[in-house]
Amino acid sequence: MLGYIWQYVYTSFLRYWLKWLVRQVTGKCELQRICSGCKPGVTRTSKAEYSLRSSKSKVLRGAVDADKNKLEPCVDRIMEEKSIKPQKDPLFKENLHTCLLQITGYSSLFVSVEELRKEVFDSENHEHEVMLLKLWDLLMPNVKLESRITKQWGDIGFQGDDPKTDFRGMGMLGLINLVFFSDNYTEEARQVLSHANHPKLGYSYAIVGINLTEMAYSLMKSGALKPHFYNTVQGAPELKDFHQLYCYLAYEFDKFWVAEEPESIMHFNQYREKFHNIVKTHLQEPDVSLTLTVCSKN
Amino acid sequence: MGLLTILKKMKQKEREMRLLMLGLDNAGKTTILKKFNGEDVSTISPTLGFNIKTLEHRGFKLNIWDVGGQKSLRSYWRNYFESTDGLVWVVDSADRLRLEDCRQELSSLLQEEMLAGATLLVFANKQDLPGALSKEAIKEALALDQIKSHHWCIIGCSAVTGENLLAGVDWLLEDIAARIFTTD
Repeated sequence: MLGYIWQYVYTSFLRYWLKWLVRQVTGKCELQRICSGCKPGVTRTSKAEYSLRSSKSKVLRGAVDADKNKLEPCVDRIMEEKSIKPQKDPLFKENLHTCLLQITGYSSLFVSVEELRKEVFDSENHEHEVMLLKLWDLLMPNVKLESRITKQWGDIGFQGDDPKTDFRGMGMLGLINLVFFSDNYTEEARQVLSHANHPKLGYSYAIVGINLTEMAYSLMKSGALKPHFYNTVQGAPELKDFHQLYCYLAYEFDKFWVAEEPESIMHFNQYREKFHNIVKTHLQEPDVSLTLTVCSKN
Repeated sequence: MGLLTILKKMKQKEREMRLLMLGLDNAGKTTILKKFNGEDVSTISPTLGFNIKTLEHRGFKLNIWDVGGQKSLRSYWRNYFESTDGLVWVVDSADRLRLEDCRQELSSLLQEEMLAGATLLVFANKQDLPGALSKEAIKEALALDQIKSHHWCIIGCSAVTGENLLAGVDWLLEDIAARIFTTD
């Protein structure tokens, strides 16, 4: 209760008085202090985001939802509003611009991710089919697929003889992630697949992959991935950055599973939760970077 | 603790039911569970292992077990049979090609001794899909009329719209309650 009262008093009054006081003493506004005093990455961008969102000025609040191509005039207007002289603080403009690219980029990346998720895998769609067959060829270079509908799909961890129903709620996002991992980290993907096909410690490679796409998606949706993207992408993150994150999850989950030696696949959800918590703990660290540390082909 | 509290506690314990939800993969088991529990059903991925949900419904505490249906997991189903009061068999009514597979799996389940006392509810799911077979057609295909060993009922439903889920679960609860809580 006391905590709530304190928070209310702080955000409604104290914060403004303090900001005003510090501004009088240092001659710099809060955004300037953040952009020059904080380390680039999540430390700076998160603080800037909070400062902008809780600002009294419409110009500042609106900046976090601005269009990617209109960020420069947006920064100009903020500088005008806050009477910041470029001569006095020459780095401010560029630093704030980078922060805004990251903040607005996260939201628009989620829009793109959501679009792909909602795109249902369709056997009538030639592109979808080509992508599915490409997944097979990348993972099983020495085995030919006998037909489109075949039990062989089970060898790369789909449930039945036609993978189309397995994508479900993750749609094309699930398939694209699987293909991206196999395409850019072919050796690693095959190594993970060989672990997945272990007679005792095995798991369904593709289905686990789709479950990990769901994990990446929900982390993205909740905003939990902001620290990772703010630290690793100097600008607006793109879809390939999301796929890269999936690669990290797929590779790390496999390592985790092999090390934990679960009794059987029936305990998957329990280990998934444990792994999920490890990832969330990493995301609390200020210098978090969930990057797969092997050489990518690209 | 008074006598009344003890009695109440015992009664609460009694009014607990264990439901086991099985069916082929992609039948819609997890979607039914989530929809029934009022959760978002748009981002579901295939179940590996199982999900369990405990929820209160009409004064009963339901422990619902939703176990993955892919072929490689079916040998584990038996690990979840013990003290099951109700078996919910979920069918994808639009998946005509695997109806025979579906009939065989159900009929071998019904021969399991550990499930001998359980009530059977068959959900003819996905009635919202244009190609879905009616519940009568499903009843025929699964040869339900031949079942003499269990109380059973088939209900056409849609997990996505939520249609008839409540009706099915209510029938199941009533049947189980009539069997085990007759003294109430």
